[in-house]
Amino acid sequence: MAEKGKGKSRGEIAQRRRRDGGEVRGKKRKNLSSSGKRKEEKKRRSGPSLPNALKRELERLNPTVDGEASDGEDEEIDSDAAVGNDVYEYEEGVAEEETMKNKRYDPVENYEFELPEDFEDWKVPSDEDDDDNDDENEDPGRHGRMLEEITGLPADAFGGKKKKDLIISEAYPESEYNPTGDILDGSGRISIQDLLEPLHGKSGFSKLRKDLHRMGKQTVPTLAPVARTDQERIERKAAYEQSKKDITKWEPLVKRNREAPTLFFDEDKELGYSTIGAIASEFKPRTDFEKKMASLVNQSEVVEAHKRDGARLLELNEVSIEDVKERQERLAKMRDLLFRHEMKAKRVKKIKSKTYHRLLKKDKSKAAEASIRMDPEAAKEHAMKIEFKRAEERMTLKHKNSSKWAKRILKRGLDAQDDATKAAFSEQLSQHAALTRKINSIKESSSSDDSSDGDDSDDMSAGSDQEAAEKLIKKAKEKTLKVLEGDDEVPTSGVLALPFMVRGLKKRKDAADEEAKLALEEYESSLKQLGDTSKSRSSDKEAKGASSGRRVFGAPEKVVNGTTKKEKVNNYYGDSDSESDAEANADDNTLNDQTGKSLKEMDIDPSLLREEFGFSHDSVFKSFGDAEDPEPKTAYEVAYLSSDTWKKVRKSSDALKGSEADLNVRKPGIVAQTEKDPESEDDDEDSGSDSEEEMVDGILSSGPKSTYELPSQAELIQRAFAGDDVEEDFIKQKEAVLDEENPEPEKPVLLPGWGQWTGVQKKRGLPSWMLKEHEAAKQKRDESLKKRKDAHLNNVIISEKLGKKAEKLHTKTLPYPYTSKEVFEQSIRMPIGPEFNPVTAIGALNRPEVVKKAGVIIKPIEYEDVSVHERGEGHKRSAPKQGKVNGKKRSKK
Amino acid sequence: MVVKVAKVQKTKPLPAAEQTEEEKMSVKKYLRGEAADLGELQDKKLKGQLAVREELYGKSAQAAAQAEKWLMPSEGGYLEVEGIEKTWRIKQDAIAAEVDILSLRKQFDIVLPDFGPYTLDFSLSGRYMIAGGKKGHMALLDMKNMDLIKEFQVRETVRDVVFLHNQKLFAAAQKKYVYMYSDNGTEMHCLKEHGAVTKLQFLNKHFLLTSINKLGQLHYQDITTGEMIGNYRTGLGRTDTMEVNPYNNVIGVGHSGGTVSMWKPTSAAPLVKMLCHQGPVTAMAFHSNGHLMATAGMERKIKLWDLRKFEVLQTLPGTTKSMQFSQKGLLAAATGGSFVQVFGDLSGSQEYSRYMGHSMAKGYQIKKVQFRPYEDVLAIGHSQGWSSILIPGSGEPNFDTWVANPFETRKQRNEKEVRSLLDKLPPETIMLDPSKIGSVKPATKKEGPTKQDIEAQKEAAIEDAKKTKLKKKTKGRSKPSKVTKKKQEAIMRAKKPFLEKQDEKVKKKRKRVEEENQLPKSLQRFARKVPAS
Repeated sequence: MAEKGKGKSRGEIAQRRRRDGGEVRGKKRKNLSSSGKRKEEKKRRSGPSLPNALKRELERLNPTVDGEASDGEDEEIDSDAAVGNDVYEYEEGVAEEETMKNKRYDPVENYEFELPEDFEDWKVPSDEDDDDNDDENEDPGRHGRMLEEITGLPADAFGGKKKKDLIISEAYPESEYNPTGDILDGSGRISIQDLLEPLHGKSGFSKLRKDLHRMGKQTVPTLAPVARTDQERIERKAAYEQSKKDITKWEPLVKRNREAPTLFFDEDKELGYSTIGAIASEFKPRTDFEKKMASLVNQSEVVEAHKRDGARLLELNEVSIEDVKERQERLAKMRDLLFRHEMKAKRVKKIKSKTYHRLLKKDKSKAAEASIRMDPEAAKEHAMKIEFKRAEERMTLKHKNSSKWAKRILKRGLDAQDDATKAAFSEQLSQHAALTRKINSIKESSSSDDSSDGDDSDDMSAGSDQEAAEKLIKKAKEKTLKVLEGDDEVPTSGVLALPFMVRGLKKRKDAADEEAKLALEEYESSLKQLGDTSKSRSSDKEAKGASSGRRVFGAPEKVVNGTTKKEKVNNYYGDSDSESDAEANADDNTLNDQTGKSLKEMDIDPSLLREEFGFSHDSVFKSFGDAEDPEPKTAYEVAYLSSDTWKKVRKSSDALKGSEADLNVRKPGIVAQTEKDPESEDDDEDSGSDSEEEMVDGILSSGPKSTYELPSQAELIQRAFAGDDVEEDFIKQKEAVLDEENPEPEKPVLLPGWGQWTGVQKKRGLPSWMLKEHEAAKQKRDESLKKRKDAHLNNVIISEKLGKKAEKLHTKTLPYPYTSKEVFEQSIRMPIGPEFNPVTAIGALNRPEVVKKAGVIIKPIEYEDVSVHERGEGHKRSAPKQGKVNGKKRSKK
Repeated sequence: MVVKVAKVQKTKPLPAAEQTEEEKMSVKKYLRGEAADLGELQDKKLKGQLAVREELYGKSAQAAAQAEKWLMPSEGGYLEVEGIEKTWRIKQDAIAAEVDILSLRKQFDIVLPDFGPYTLDFSLSGRYMIAGGKKGHMALLDMKNMDLIKEFQVRETVRDVVFLHNQKLFAAAQKKYVYMYSDNGTEMHCLKEHGAVTKLQFLNKHFLLTSINKLGQLHYQDITTGEMIGNYRTGLGRTDTMEVNPYNNVIGVGHSGGTVSMWKPTSAAPLVKMLCHQGPVTAMAFHSNGHLMATAGMERKIKLWDLRKFEVLQTLPGTTKSMQFSQKGLLAAATGGSFVQVFGDLSGSQEYSRYMGHSMAKGYQIKKVQFRPYEDVLAIGHSQGWSSILIPGSGEPNFDTWVANPFETRKQRNEKEVRSLLDKLPPETIMLDPSKIGSVKPATKKEGPTKQDIEAQKEAAIEDAKKTKLKKKTKGRSKPSKVTKKKQEAIMRAKKPFLEKQDEKVKKKRKRVEEENQLPKSLQRFARKVPAS
């Protein structure tokens, strides 16, 4: 069973080799040996195994077998066991130690390790080979038949037959596509060394050898190409890097302009030509007509005539009668034609027949179509027109019921309209639809192109019959030809212009070219094959495989893993492409690595950036918070202060006092005082008037001394008592003001029976929450009072009211770039007007951000090398001419 | 003894190092404070901009400091004594012996014993003076030419006189009203609203005539439009001490209770009310730098206050009916009836000490002491007329012709009038700290949410209601129709409080209107039950 399988596989291999026209020969041996080994192992493992209990029993019966089995020399013992054990002759039970299922026995790994592996290997192949030969000899005819069946080739073509009679003429000339039998069956193995030997001494041999050596070492298989999305991403990334680099070079320039306090665009603009002569002198004839005119004007005669007096000009100006006549005739003819055309148009316009007009229109359109068909220019124009219309429609949505007319109709209802309107309406809609559909159709077509590409590939994979294969091969050929011919130009910009990319591209291209050549040959041969022999499915598979040139690196669907192996096989033919291919692969790998790295970097970068930003954001928020935090508090406070109504102030003091008297014991004193005050005022006033009169009297009597030096008794008394209560008075006043702005919290009052169990309340007094509330309110008041400017000034009351009118003199919020109030206020401390600054400074202080002369055209910024270190000086240049933008240079040009 | 009088140009150049020091000082002065700490700024752009600005400011200050040398050539004079001599012992005769003729002319006594005591006022430039005698005598004088421009009798008590924006107009507080006169004595206006005014002041930058009357009412009248800007009762009784703080144009009023209140024209409550003295405040004066105030109480104390901290700096003994700070910061006080004392901040440490003294003849009751601007002259109005004495170092030696020009021509005056009218400041710019103008509004009481806020809240609530996901329910309760219904209900629920609030407002309004147009009870039954719509 196993042998059969093996034979089959070998047959397949052979067949394949024949098909491919040259694959590894040396490998066969290896393959064979390994397969033999595998078979051996399979043999050992396969077959029913005894249940563990039975096994144990057996082992107990003949322990020697076990001991020997553990010896390690499997093969010999196997045979022994096979002979000895008649019950389980075909099965070689695995030693329990090896199965490792049961740890009752000592592990025997050490035994295995005692012997070098080579030792076994020396022996085994010979055994195997014998076995193999036996196998083959067992049923050669059957194998051959099978091969015949499968491949469709005559059985003679296979090695099995060959062995018997060596001198059989080949069906095909020996070539790489058609190896000889001994190659196939592996007796005459050709090694790389063999192939290399003839090349010895030739140029490039050493390199080739080196490469081979390297390849021998390089065990890593070529990686499958990256998925298209990934590749595109990588490319985008690279492009981004590139463009970033491109853009960053502008940074210092832009920065300089941004930092400049003033940008000047006041270059001495050229006002243009001042005279007509100046304009004319600049004139250079360009078109033929102009040149002709110039040659005529600049004739020496004319110039001379001009130079003298112009009298000769008249002579030169002579026109022949014929000329005039001809011209007149021509003009008359034209005029006549025009007139006739006009008349015709009039007549046509007057014709009321619809059919006539329709026919006319048809004719016109036909003519236009014809012209489109005939004239590419016209066609182009037509296409442009249509495109424009579409664009217009898309822009305006003119036909999408957006017009006034359409809206009105819709408003009234479409059913209410007469047929003509309805028709017009629907026509409009259909027009819109047509216009937009066309847009869609264009899009679809473009997308369908893409999909068709995909379809192609699909076809390729799906198509199985011969025609398809042929077609495919042809297509592939075409493509490869195209590749060989076309796109030599190296992109000058973008990612692909990067040096390493260019290098990689070049290499890849070279490789692709060579491979394409190879593929071409292959195509041809396969085509031939297809033509000659009956075709099988495998051929188109092959074609597909072969069509996967390196050029289509980006198309993963075409590159099958199997192809890489094939390529390797190809390489053994020693073509020079092999190493370049490898190189290209290596390059690709490195490229991938690089991009991977850059990817990683990119991964890191944004996070870093984000972190930074986060920090900055945080800090900004913090500062905002700082700036805003006090506000609500104070606002609250003020609210608290001003929550008292104006009425209270206005209330007669009596009422206030009355209410206060109830609460406070101290208050009656105030009442008395306040009652006293008006009296005293009156007294004061009286005394004032008295003294005045006295004074007047005194002056009149010119004896001022007595009246001035000795104040009246009342005054004296008042003065004597003046100091007594002023302070207390003032403190009370202050308290009143504070209370008014920030009223004292009401004392907690409790309605009996509310919110309490009966009886409990009396014992405990006020509930704790009330007290707490009261306490909190008190504290709040105290805090807000503490915040006042006059908190620690006993003899001062400072009003905290700003006044509504004064509000407009303040900014409501901090102006934009500022985040701190202090900085803003510091920045506005200096007046910048002419009253406060010397003349030399006013200009600089009040200069606008952009100074531009009228009529100066501000051109886009031009690159100019600005070193980064100039930045520091940026601040210093406030002198008018230094923040200059590049306008000057441009104008100089 | 050496006397140096103002207007003596300094010729002797100072050593270089000192000059630079001086320059530094003046640069600092012109920088008007320090730049903000740019280091703590996060915004680099702003930082850059501010740095550029600061640099410009620095340059400007530098230029101004350099120009100062040429624009302010004169240095103030002062009394210099040798040995154990004391400046306050130096008499006017002694000074007269030392000074030049022009200065000598400024020492004089005008004896007008019939209509005294006189109150005085100088025009801004110090060239013109009006004298108002208690008995109705008013005189307008040109002090430069020693010329009497106009003299007239109003035949009633004159309590105060004050120049308006220029010498062409002045106001007098007379027995019942305030009158405005032109320079040729024509009565221009009678300002009855002010009442019987005891003291007048004019705020020249705001064109506000300020008065306090016998009832203790403070009036602010705009003399350009005639509008009464403010009319506030101080509630602290009659007073005749009222002064303007030249720095911020806040009016300070001294009261009989020993308090001083400070007012601005747009507020009915005083900005500051401070208890300065035990007895009534008899006189007060403000330093031109705005943060020094002198008050005199009946209890024989003169106090100097720091208005930034509202604290007493210094207490001097003495009573006075009139005080004034000179431009250079000397404080003249008429103490003890006929004695004038001048205090000076000689050490430069806000420590006022006796600088000069001048005693009038016995029996001269001094009504008013007034420094003449831009001159080292103190004018004293008293019961026997008025006198003028020399106080070296009192006046600003350099005048700015754009601000006040003693040599003003008519044309210049006219132009200046127009200019100052154009530059007139609105009354609300008067505040305790005018440097705060333009800054961020101090936090005030929290107002209720604005209409937009309410609208936004409503929107948010509706959005929330829309977003809420309904539970998946069985038995047909999660039918689309049900779901939509539920959602709509949720939205309605979210809207409800806002609508209710609105309704309340409307209802309130309607109620108010209804209350207003309610019919008399007897006619109510005829009123329509349902208003026609």
